[in-house]
Amino acid sequence: MGFVRLVVFGFLALSVIYLSVSVYARSVRREKLEKSWAEDNPDSSDIAARDAFVAIGIVEYNASYRPKLIGLVYVVPTVIVATIVYITNAN
Amino acid sequence: MHRLKTIFRVTVVLIVGLFLHYVLPQHDVVRVTSTEIIRTDFSGFNRIFYAQADSGGTAQITRDLRLINTDKKKTMLLGFVARDSTEVMVYRNEDTGWIWPPYFKFDSSDLQAESTSIARRENWAVLTHYGWRVRWASIYPNAVAVRLVEGPDVRIIPWFNIFFFGALIAGIAFLRAMWMQFRERAVDPLLDSAGHKYDEASADIAARGGRMRRWFASWRAKDKR
Repeated sequence: MGFVRLVVFGFLALSVIYLSVSVYARSVRREKLEKSWAEDNPDSSDIAARDAFVAIGIVEYNASYRPKLIGLVYVVPTVIVATIVYITNAN
Repeated sequence: MHRLKTIFRVTVVLIVGLFLHYVLPQHDVVRVTSTEIIRTDFSGFNRIFYAQADSGGTAQITRDLRLINTDKKKTMLLGFVARDSTEVMVYRNEDTGWIWPPYFKFDSSDLQAESTSIARRENWAVLTHYGWRVRWASIYPNAVAVRLVEGPDVRIIPWFNIFFFGALIAGIAFLRAMWMQFRERAVDPLLDSAGHKYDEASADIAARGGRMRRWFASWRAKDKR
């Protein structure tokens, strides 16, 4: 029973962390894209072109391996818990 | 106001510090003298300082409690400075189960057997525990692990605590970075546009007020103006 509770609440807590980290990572990526656009086109006020550039960058980011790394949010705590279980109970 | 803030901060730091001091593992150099089992009736007050029934078992109002009796080397300053004298220390030995605190300890019986074996050898051992000994409320620290050592002057490196505080600092730094990013990208633009709208609205009201006043003025007799 305790194990079920741990799994359910642990999953919920880790999902909150997962979602906020992915939003954060995407936001940082978007800011980077905007800055690199501003660097390459210092006096352009073509907002449509800028938005297109950023949109392409975000699509590329979504397809890359980087957002998948955020899945480690689920993996690392599970491994840590398994390690603690082993170390505590092994003789 | 400033003093209130200071009091608030000190209280928060104190509560967090005490909480961590209770929950994080500590290492004692002990000589196990004996082990025993007593029946325990919990009160509403000291119940939270005990874990639940053995994992896999069911909870009753009263149950048996495994204890480990030891002579413990005294320490100072949160265990960082060792002293020569010893004192008696009694540890409870309970399963923490799957929930809290997250030691995931299910091997109380094995630990009890190990402690009994160590007690017979009269050797020094390092006992890992969490919790406090509070005599007037019959609260015991919970033993988590015990291992034999050569002598009483053993050097203990608290690897888990080093790792834990490193992770804690990294986590706080990351949370801070996330919050800053959120504010810069989501809250500030919103506030900016809200401020902009407010400016426009107040300018609009001012302009309209001007029109109204002019309209009222047009009703007055011209010579009285």
